[in-house]
Amino acid sequence: MTPFVAGFVGIACLFALLTVRVPVAFSMLLVGFGGYWVLEGPRSAGGVLLTESYSAISNYNLIVVPMFVLLGNISSAAGFSRGLYDAAFAWVGRFRGGLASASVLGCAVFAAVSGSSVATAVTLGKVALPEMRRLGYAPGLSTGAIAAGGTLGFLIPPSTGFVLYAILTEESIGRLFMAGVMPGLLLTALFMVVVWLISYFDPNAGPRGEPVALADRFRILGRAAPLLLVIVLSIGGIYIGVFTPVEASGVGAALVILLAVVKRRLSFGDFRDAVMSTLSTSAMLYAIVIGANVLNPFFAVTRIPATLGDGLGALGLGAYGTLFVIILAYIVLGMFMDGLSMLVITIPIVFPVITALGFDPIWFGVVAVIVIEMGMITPPVGLNVFVVRAVAGDVPLTTIFRGVAPFLLAMIVGLLLIIAIPGIALFLPNTMFG
Amino acid sequence: EDLKLADFQPPTHFVVDSTYKPFAATIADKTGGAVTVTLYMGGEIGPGPVEQYNRALEGVADIAFGLPGYTAANFPKTLLAELPGVITAENGTERILANLDKLSDEYKRVVLLGLWNNAPNLLFTGAKPIRSLDDLKGLKIRVPSRNAGLVVEAWGATPVSMPASEIYNAIQTGVIDGAMTDATTLKAFKLAEVTKYITQGMDTTMSDFFLVMNRDSFGDLNEDQQKIVLDAGRTAAINGNKAWLSVAAKALSDFAGTDGKEVITLAPEEAAKFNAASSAAVDKIIADADAQGLEASAFVKALKGN
Amino acid sequence: MRDAIDIWSARFEKATFYLALIGAICLLAIVAIVTLGVVMRYVLGIPILGVNEFVELTAVALIMASLPFCTARREHVAVDVFERILGRWGRFIGDVVAYCLSGFVMSILAQRAVLKALDAWQWGDATNMLRMPIWPFYAILAAGAALCVLTFAVQLVVLLLKGEK
Ligand code: NA
Ligand code: NA
Repeated sequence: MTPFVAGFVGIACLFALLTVRVPVAFSMLLVGFGGYWVLEGPRSAGGVLLTESYSAISNYNLIVVPMFVLLGNISSAAGFSRGLYDAAFAWVGRFRGGLASASVLGCAVFAAVSGSSVATAVTLGKVALPEMRRLGYAPGLSTGAIAAGGTLGFLIPPSTGFVLYAILTEESIGRLFMAGVMPGLLLTALFMVVVWLISYFDPNAGPRGEPVALADRFRILGRAAPLLLVIVLSIGGIYIGVFTPVEASGVGAALVILLAVVKRRLSFGDFRDAVMSTLSTSAMLYAIVIGANVLNPFFAVTRIPATLGDGLGALGLGAYGTLFVIILAYIVLGMFMDGLSMLVITIPIVFPVITALGFDPIWFGVVAVIVIEMGMITPPVGLNVFVVRAVAGDVPLTTIFRGVAPFLLAMIVGLLLIIAIPGIALFLPNTMFG
Repeated sequence: EDLKLADFQPPTHFVVDSTYKPFAATIADKTGGAVTVTLYMGGEIGPGPVEQYNRALEGVADIAFGLPGYTAANFPKTLLAELPGVITAENGTERILANLDKLSDEYKRVVLLGLWNNAPNLLFTGAKPIRSLDDLKGLKIRVPSRNAGLVVEAWGATPVSMPASEIYNAIQTGVIDGAMTDATTLKAFKLAEVTKYITQGMDTTMSDFFLVMNRDSFGDLNEDQQKIVLDAGRTAAINGNKAWLSVAAKALSDFAGTDGKEVITLAPEEAAKFNAASSAAVDKIIADADAQGLEASAFVKALKGN
Repeated sequence: MRDAIDIWSARFEKATFYLALIGAICLLAIVAIVTLGVVMRYVLGIPILGVNEFVELTAVALIMASLPFCTARREHVAVDVFERILGRWGRFIGDVVAYCLSGFVMSILAQRAVLKALDAWQWGDATNMLRMPIWPFYAILAAGAALCVLTFAVQLVVLLLKGEK
């Protein structure tokens, strides 16, 4: 078997394993290990399994994942997340589909402390879905808004996606974080437009909430103060240079725990559950990163990435033609692959091509992250959709996928805007970093 | 036989043309195409510098480029060459290659193909110029290795350890005042953007690079092929050293020529103060290594060529 | 018989929970040390050298102590879009395949990690700044992977004896 053929057999095996419900992480481990065995022998295959597992787990920058998941879980358990949600609702609840809009806004705010889409969708989903059900919102709209809004966790800093992109490309994490801010706000706005349009054409999908007096709105906002304080301290700390993103994640988690204890909002049982759930989620996410790390070397020795990369350059499509093909390929891959794994596998192939074409590497980081976010809500493998189904309980998967479709369109619109006007991504990093 | 050469640096790195292409061509040529080398740049078969030695050890790659400093505990003797005043940037690689036999104890788990030194590590600072030893007092300086940390401490600054990829943010945001690193990082890690001053002129540390090969992969070659690969490795070390020095020199002169940036060359009497401080630390490191039975003094003497 | 299986599989899940408590200690230790590092640097002006090494190695213990727990709770993400198409027997065979293959690959990892732990111990592999020995962390990697294998084995036995959930 030539390496190239072995590569395609490997991809076929990966799909077969995924189809019969072998967990994503172990499917990647198996194909990476098995493929390396076929091409390089058992000693090397075992070596890849060992060194890349160890290298992934001991990666300093990846520690932000458990830290931010912990931060989110403690905020949920202590009711800080709900406080924040109440505040968002007080301000936008009286509009059509206001509760869904509030959820999107809540996602955006939570995204500012959470680096992970899953954590964002889980946290907001737990709070928002029961409230929306109570007020008679259509399940498609409410779950779709949370699943799509959750992806903002990946775009609005801090973001594990940007951290991974920075590691892979040696770009500055700070610049990438800043570049994510305005596109994140743009997508937030577009999602709210989608919610408004859906509730406009189908008033039953998102009935209006009671108006709240201005004074009350500020009073409720005050109740959201704890989490807002943590957001300002930890995110602000990165921006003004008090600490690195890893330190921000640690300090943020410590602050939330401290606040919850001081305000007596956290029983020992809740604390234990939050920590244990953090461990389980972290192990799950690390397993996926390990799987991708083991799969990556196999794809490298098949030379498929290099061949495709060369092919991409040889197509002679010009800068925007090539970009279009790359984005299309990402969308197709994103239907099946997990976002972080996709970044790890594709960025080393695509990044040299993109920079050679003269595109800004920071800007492309934003484009890549948005396309990967889309992958999180496209069928058949949509991590955020799975997560929302898990917290929503009895809503069928197909309903959520259907509910998410209009938000997907909004993301395409956002993407086109950012391609047409790169300044949306680059204005902040360029003014702040020169 | 195709040998996988793994490097974590981007595919656009100057090491490819200056060092790896001649290395691969020589091996293919002299073995009549029986042994070839395929490059995997950018961490394609495993990201980052830290695990490179393990990748050669465990057979992920047949040959790996890495820094002995990342697994310093395995290479205490090799790393003596990093200490200030032991080698010069220009003839260091020659001296190291001439004394490789003295390092054989540290390369029993892998086969050492080539070992060379980088350009000198200079003091990069974000806002505060270092014109004297006093200027450095109490500043937080990122160091590339444990030995460099001891030297920086001897100079009166506070060493901070962090991955090279984090220096940019850390200087820019003021988490550290500066970094001890070589001039090629001005471009490779874009440090020129956040560095205002570079101080040179004192004896300073020099990082080592190596190409190491998996023992079994090496054993699969016949004796003639082994010799060809070893020779090509030695040549790669010399080419690598030249390439790093010339790129560093160019990066430094570009930096000096940029508005608002300054390269400070210490006055001889100031440099002497730095050297007096560091040589005490160096003597102690060598004495400690001697005490561990590494025959450090003899090795350092041989490197100095006296 | 069925009750006995339930009891033993519940006990096993409980055991992975206790193991994960070690992970919890590691998680909180990382939060504490990272925060302490920031406080020491700003309040006392003393940076702690080697915080990153502590974090990197503790992360190994954190994740490997939690992986069997996560596996026992069946929280790994799997694609369930084809669930209906597969049918009852398809799902059953798929699950058997999943447990066997996942267990297989984790057993290879455990075996290589044991060898690596011995190797690292013999050669005195240690971290750069703090000179912490690395072999215990490969041993933890091996133990965590081995417990995952055990978890898959228990889940396979439960599946074979009781059929699909
Ligand atoms: Na975020
Ligand atoms: Na998808």
